[in-house]
Amino acid sequence: MQLKPGAAQLRRRLIAASCALLSTPPARSQENPDPGLVGRFLQAWQFESALAYYHEDGRIQAVEPVVSASHDYGDGGNVSLNFTFDALSGSSPNGALPSHAPQTFTAASAKSFASARRVYTTAPGNLPVDPNFSDGRAAFGADWTLPLTRLSRFTLGGKASIEDDFYSTTVNIAFAHDFNNKNTTVSFGADAEGDIIHPVGKTPVPLSDYAAFSREGDKSKTGAGALFGVTQVMTRNWLTQLNVSVDRFTGYLNDPYKIVTVLAAGGDTAGYEYENRPDSRTRKSAYLENRVGGAHVSADLSLRYMTDSWGIRSQTAQIRMRLWSPSRQHYIEPTTRWYHQSAADFFNPWLAAADAGSTRYISSDPRLATFHALTYGLKYGYDLGDRLHRSNSEFTVRVEYYRQTLEVDKPVPVALQGLDLYPGLKAVFVQFGFSY
Amino acid sequence: MACPCEVLVYGDDRAQALSLGTMAAQEAWRVEHKYSRYRDDSVVAWIHGHRGLKCALDVETASLIDFAHRCFELSDGLFDITSGILRRVWKFDGSDRVPEADAVAALLPSIGFDKLQWEPPLLLLPAGMELDFGGIGKEYAVDRAYELLAAQCNVPFLLNFGGDLRTNRPPPQGPWRIGIERPDAEMTAAMLLDLERGALATSGDSRRFLLKASVRYSHILDPRTGWPVVDAPRSVTVAGSSCTEAGLLATLAMLQGAGARAFLEEQGARHWILQ
Repeated sequence: MQLKPGAAQLRRRLIAASCALLSTPPARSQENPDPGLVGRFLQAWQFESALAYYHEDGRIQAVEPVVSASHDYGDGGNVSLNFTFDALSGSSPNGALPSHAPQTFTAASAKSFASARRVYTTAPGNLPVDPNFSDGRAAFGADWTLPLTRLSRFTLGGKASIEDDFYSTTVNIAFAHDFNNKNTTVSFGADAEGDIIHPVGKTPVPLSDYAAFSREGDKSKTGAGALFGVTQVMTRNWLTQLNVSVDRFTGYLNDPYKIVTVLAAGGDTAGYEYENRPDSRTRKSAYLENRVGGAHVSADLSLRYMTDSWGIRSQTAQIRMRLWSPSRQHYIEPTTRWYHQSAADFFNPWLAAADAGSTRYISSDPRLATFHALTYGLKYGYDLGDRLHRSNSEFTVRVEYYRQTLEVDKPVPVALQGLDLYPGLKAVFVQFGFSY
Repeated sequence: MACPCEVLVYGDDRAQALSLGTMAAQEAWRVEHKYSRYRDDSVVAWIHGHRGLKCALDVETASLIDFAHRCFELSDGLFDITSGILRRVWKFDGSDRVPEADAVAALLPSIGFDKLQWEPPLLLLPAGMELDFGGIGKEYAVDRAYELLAAQCNVPFLLNFGGDLRTNRPPPQGPWRIGIERPDAEMTAAMLLDLERGALATSGDSRRFLLKASVRYSHILDPRTGWPVVDAPRSVTVAGSSCTEAGLLATLAMLQGAGARAFLEEQGARHWILQ
């Protein structure tokens, strides 16, 4: 009593037949109007949208709408698409040190070059910032997950992003396999990225004198990375995940808008030079996350360690709790994140004129300095229930406060004493989210 | 439905639980009313009353016939909604009244979906034949009720119509725990399964069988021979995304007799078998 050949296909065909049956409206609900093409599309896809607002203390502000959509095929397959648009504006530190004297620069950021080399002056004691910073970004990403067997799946994805001065494309693949009654998932991933850097006003020659305005053509960089991850269900309420990854970028890794103050022997400003970073960077990182969940409380603790070939070592610890109201209609989610990193080998807040000839790599970008940062966040979520006739729709508001404190312990020349050389950063992030 | 039906709703909203329970019950009654072979005002009775004539079926009934047709083809005739007339000779009451071979053979000419004229939405049921939705009706009712409830609420709920069940999500404390009855000892759970979401359907001969000369005749009849399947497991439980799908797989597995386990493994379906 055997079924006909190709019996293994039977279940899949049966699933298709069941879906066809159940998608037919029962007699009584024929009173319901057809939702129409758009309605059916909206019902078949899950959407998430968010509008984020980012504000750095006295500097950049950004508005970022994000829309993502995903669709499950029901057989474990899934397609997701996302679109992001950024609009940044404000002022950005140019890398030079504060000074007791006024300092005059020419605008070096994206749009400002388009018209002319606009001049701006920084008042004594202030951190030099380019006040004309403005950039826009549009990014699109897509991921397609395909079930290979009942226990394994393959994901192919890609993304592209366009800025005024930066174009980036990435492709990624991943493979995941479940073991141990689906309590263990092992995944491998790899990605490759290619970028073109097209600074407005062309690319400054590394280490060239700022005043000389020496320029080169467009630059590029490429990267490749690999990731290995294990997710383990420890108990019914406890999930743990470990990822290790490595990636390597080569090519133009400088920030084309960053300069370094050159100090004469006594500490007086002698001029400015464009920064230069090594043309390759290899990063290795390990990430451990533990999630525990209960009826009305869940918690998530994650730790990350990263080390790179530039000499940066960073550690991140984050704890996040989610507290539900008794009806599970509302939740709040406090988050605290602590981050510390050591400086890149070539980080230097300024360049001594005497060393200018022998220095190959230098950057005063505070993102490469030794610093620690604390983030405090609070998210509120409201479950919209069945108001939209779908099973999971919610509205969320997230507020985060970020504070970065630089830890540079370099003897300060007399001429610079009394200045706040390393002011750090304070930023506020607000996000409104709506998923349906 | 001739079986206990229950709706479990997680939460502390009594009014909501009551309204969901009522909604599920009404949908179960609607499906039963429409497709029961025991009622003279059902669609099935109407079709039986128009044998030899082409009848235009409503959309829902047409899709059920389409589904039955598909299952008949996929299973090479093992699943057949026209096999219900075998009940005239097979009465699974726990007795030893096994029918005569001739009596069974006499019914075979009136069995076979391929003897129907089915040109959707027109159906012609030849004289002497019967339709029986009993093999899919209960699972279909679960899925229909499920969709109504899922559109109304997002609290975790579990529908259980006599052992065929479906849930939208687990309660916060963890998955639903499902007890599978041991076929020979009523009301004692032989196995406990965890169900997060999706459906479970069970096919078994716990209450319906014949016993003669120490041969147990299960109520699972092969429509092609008219005889019970040999060495069928006592009970087969299958998980699926819908109850209809899981129920069909469980039934087809039973029809494989001793090959039930191999069949389900080949299909890659999550399953639990009691021998």
